[in-house]
Amino acid sequence: MEELPSITVSQREQFLVENDVFGMYSYFDTSDIATQKFMVEIQRDKQLDYLMNGLRQLGPSFSSLDANRPWVCYWIIHSIALLGESVDDDLENNAIDFLGRCQGSDGGYGGGPGQLPHLATSYAAVNTLVTLGGEKAFSSINREQMACFLRRMKDTNGGFRMHNMGEIDVRACYTAISIASILNIVDDELTRGLGDYILSCQTYEGGIGGEPGSEAHGGYTYCGLATMILINEVDRLNLDSLMNWVVHRQGVEMGFQGRTNKLVDGCYTFWQAAPCVLLQRFFSSQDMAPHGSSSRMSQGTDEDHEEYAHDEDDPEDSDEDDSDEDSDEDSGNGHQVHHTSTYIDRRIQPVFDSLGLQRYVLLCSQVADGGFRDKLRKPRDFYHTCYCLSGLSVAQHAWSKDEDTPPLTRDILGGYANHLEPVHLLHNVVMDRYNEAIEFFHRAA
Amino acid sequence: MELEIINQTPIKPAAFSINCTKQPLSLSLSLSLSLSLSLESRCYVTLADQKFESHTLAYLTFVSYHRRNMHGRPRKAYKPEEEAASAAKAAKLRGLQSQFMANHHNKIYTKEAVDLSTKLLEINPEAYTAWNYRKLAVEDKLSGIESDPDLVKTILDEELRVVESALKQNFKSYGAWHHRKWVLSKGNSSVGNELRLLDNFQKLDTRNFHAWNYRRFVVELTKRSEQDELEYTDDMIGSDFSNYSAWHNRSVLLSSLLARKADGFLPNKKIPDEYKLVQNAIFTDEDDQSGWFYHLWLLDQTVNVETPLLTSSWPSHSSRISLYAGCSKGSFSKLTTFGSESGSFPLVLYFDQAVGGVSSSTVTIDSELKGNEDLVWEPVSKKNSQVSCVWVARLKYISSEPCFGKEYKVKVRVGNSPGIVSSRGCNFSASYEFVFTAHVHDTVEESSQDGIVSWKDGFDIWDAESKDLNALATLDRSNAQMDSKWRQEAIAEEIDLFRELPDSKIGKLTLARLLMAKAMISDDAVKGVHYNEILELYKDLMALDSSHYQYYKDEHSVALLRKVTSSTEDLSGHLFRCRNMNNSVCLRLNNLSLSRIASVEKLLFVQMLDLSHNELHSTEGLEAMQLLSCLNLSHNRIRSFSSLDSLRHLKQLRVLDVSHNHIGEHSVDTTRYLCSSPLSNSEWPQDEVGSQMPSLVTKYWDAYFVLRDLNLKQLDITGNVIAGDEFSSFVLQVAPKLVWLDGKKLEI
Repeated sequence: MEELPSITVSQREQFLVENDVFGMYSYFDTSDIATQKFMVEIQRDKQLDYLMNGLRQLGPSFSSLDANRPWVCYWIIHSIALLGESVDDDLENNAIDFLGRCQGSDGGYGGGPGQLPHLATSYAAVNTLVTLGGEKAFSSINREQMACFLRRMKDTNGGFRMHNMGEIDVRACYTAISIASILNIVDDELTRGLGDYILSCQTYEGGIGGEPGSEAHGGYTYCGLATMILINEVDRLNLDSLMNWVVHRQGVEMGFQGRTNKLVDGCYTFWQAAPCVLLQRFFSSQDMAPHGSSSRMSQGTDEDHEEYAHDEDDPEDSDEDDSDEDSDEDSGNGHQVHHTSTYIDRRIQPVFDSLGLQRYVLLCSQVADGGFRDKLRKPRDFYHTCYCLSGLSVAQHAWSKDEDTPPLTRDILGGYANHLEPVHLLHNVVMDRYNEAIEFFHRAA
Repeated sequence: MELEIINQTPIKPAAFSINCTKQPLSLSLSLSLSLSLSLESRCYVTLADQKFESHTLAYLTFVSYHRRNMHGRPRKAYKPEEEAASAAKAAKLRGLQSQFMANHHNKIYTKEAVDLSTKLLEINPEAYTAWNYRKLAVEDKLSGIESDPDLVKTILDEELRVVESALKQNFKSYGAWHHRKWVLSKGNSSVGNELRLLDNFQKLDTRNFHAWNYRRFVVELTKRSEQDELEYTDDMIGSDFSNYSAWHNRSVLLSSLLARKADGFLPNKKIPDEYKLVQNAIFTDEDDQSGWFYHLWLLDQTVNVETPLLTSSWPSHSSRISLYAGCSKGSFSKLTTFGSESGSFPLVLYFDQAVGGVSSSTVTIDSELKGNEDLVWEPVSKKNSQVSCVWVARLKYISSEPCFGKEYKVKVRVGNSPGIVSSRGCNFSASYEFVFTAHVHDTVEESSQDGIVSWKDGFDIWDAESKDLNALATLDRSNAQMDSKWRQEAIAEEIDLFRELPDSKIGKLTLARLLMAKAMISDDAVKGVHYNEILELYKDLMALDSSHYQYYKDEHSVALLRKVTSSTEDLSGHLFRCRNMNNSVCLRLNNLSLSRIASVEKLLFVQMLDLSHNELHSTEGLEAMQLLSCLNLSHNRIRSFSSLDSLRHLKQLRVLDVSHNHIGEHSVDTTRYLCSSPLSNSEWPQDEVGSQMPSLVTKYWDAYFVLRDLNLKQLDITGNVIAGDEFSSFVLQVAPKLVWLDGKKLEI
């Protein structure tokens, strides 16, 4: 091993991706304002067309997703909800009916009617029904049988199996606990030893791997962290190294990578940004002091704020009314007296570059004809659409200390026209829908 | 979630972009790239000067740019015949699917039925129900022919073949990999082929984590030696040093080899070699992350010792403490004076990592103080976790027999019998003993501590010449059991090297970490210098890399606190005696722009702590300071009472100043995101206050849970949004022993 080659395959690929991304950015930077405005806009109509078409009829090339049909429902319906829209009654009834047929007679949901109940598809089904909302959707879930199913999937090592005789990993743990938490059926039997199992998957890098011995991975890191928070054992993780790992997965392209030294991928916008915000809220970090040469923060007066909104690279400069809208919304919610001295303290500085991330998603992941993708040159798909939009929502709300504080215009690249519904960070369902569901399932208990 | 590198069509040579926000690779590398890849030098941005007025034009421009540059494969409409073929394929799959389901539900395991599932899986390896069906079918077949090894092998080999062709279809199918593991666990004799097969797969996609997981599984199953596997990572890294998966596996293997002290794998020999290996990768391309993470792991191996150690204790070894019944005015400047109404004092153990199993059987106390035979040890941790760095027991010093005016020796043995275990499962092995002297006094005079405690006057500076401090604080952990020479050398060598590396973020960060590591394991004398350099590095980083500002800021705070506590001289500059408080030991760490608390293990003796005018947002860490009776947190960034949660562990705390923070600026507590308000649960404990004023408790629940458990006499809350008449009246109910609120004496 004395001689190391001067350039590796990964480096070449990284270089080519950077080239694409920076090419796109420099094209954006040198474009006129109308083009810029168009480029960072979420193409809502196109996006909705793409999603609605997907819901009505999946093309033949999706047959490989046959064992993941509740997932397809979730990716699409959650994406629609993020855009602030709902599906019509027919589609809603179809979806409830379809998922009902995926539900096994002794609990849990399979990847399609007649398929074996599986934790991941159960998670997708429950999240879909939560997102659809309403008595009919909620009561279609058999809570008691689901509890039995979860207990059957529990392994003696503390973790969960994906399905009968299936693999044990952190994904399974997360989906089980997320379901149990929303349906309000968490008990000691489900949580026993679970924290130990997740702990054994945290690597020295700081992130969490899929199973003991695996390298840290964005998807599993989200799953592991969310699980530990949901079972109230999060302080057992090494949170400092976790934070360190996750924030440094944002690279020069401004998107997130999934693992150390891998290429950027739009879907990690959610998997990595959500842990950042969760950790930051956990540490109640709120350093608002101006700092650094390229500080994006102002000193705490409204004048600064107004001024600031103008030198953002956000092309929506003309949208001055939006900042007033913020304060209106605040007083409308009735819990925040808006006055100058506390204005800035309601906000936290995200530990990652939120605007940079939004820029990556909008310029490199969004497909102008609808849908989102991993990166430039890749085809769109519903999975990436769901997690790019979810991540975009997380990034837009990363400054807010809590779910009730609406973001400011300058937090949202492209302005309020791009605003997406906030999500519950632990379950990735739209906040309002989560609240409705939680109330229902608490009454059900 | 994964990248499909192997399926990617060849990328068209892309142009160099000129206006990069950051030059992606070093010049020499770019040159070699342009040679080796013969990239064309063409500029994309030709439209820069043109003006487009309308949205439509903007759209067209953008889309055409996109088509020209970003689509390796231009999106083409499917030809009719292709569409037909694709639809036929889907119809075939649907047919297979429904036949398969019928077979599965009717438990039909005939050859035809099983072959049908093969076809299904070869098209769609994600069909996990079919994998399960095959497992049942195999069990069914095996139950008939258990005695015939050849037949068993034929059946299992067929399974392996199906998995292999499924994996060719989708390399990331969880179900396929899992099925393979399941087959091998049945004891298949062709296990020897597995690594050869894997080699081929891993050459195609070097980062596939399914393959790496499977590799670790096979290695364990076949008992292949870890040394051989280490050589495999040599090869993988040798052919591509950016392959972080290989580096990761190397760290897993080496951890195991070092831990069991395998032949040729002594840390003092092996780790320095590894540093050399990784330097090669780092210095070849400093933008490549793989080497840096491996370097971080190495540093961890160099500094950390797996087995838990006792870092410090209060009282410390050979110290003398003065104990009073009740509170009293004394002037025993040489000693820590301690008075408590309960007639007991805390015995605090601080470990270098979270441990469990501290109990009266693993820690024994030898003393004449009566009534301390079965001490109850409690972990000082959140949420009733049974592991913690800090453990506390309360030793009684007032018993039925008069014992005043006497001196007692107390001998504490930690780890006398096994049972103290770190959360990673390592035993505290080195039994450790320490002795201190307790002087028990009679109550001299009646308590007169109802006066207000001021943070302004009545403080005497510490006599730096006096030897008091040594008696109060164990300022250095004994590293005797750690063979530190090679560690120091390895780190010193790395430091020299990284000082040479031109300024880069990661270079500076690594240097700061190395210096911190050096300070942790080296002698007192040289520490101060290092800390100054570390502080400078973090300051640079804050300016250089503002998106990670808070991270560097926290590290800066940690380094600063380590510096302050690194030597008696440094520390004594911040220490005072408070005349009005029995000459209590007061530490002032105000105005240091601290955003985080650290080094508390060296501050266990502190009774008054001034942290005012910092940038703290939480009191996390202070729970270890069991002697703390007065705490000043004014002018910080505390945002809610939940951030003060750790103070609930401080049984001596009487005076708390949280004025001029941000409490109540937002009615919703951030922790609500993490755990719903305890009040939303019907089971929350209904106590007297709760039932008397349920609406206020609901409104101020986070304050309620903290104040209820504290025993405060003095509280300052002015300058917070929450402060006001309503909150004051609530505080009076929750904290009935309060005498001073916001500087005013309460009428009782």
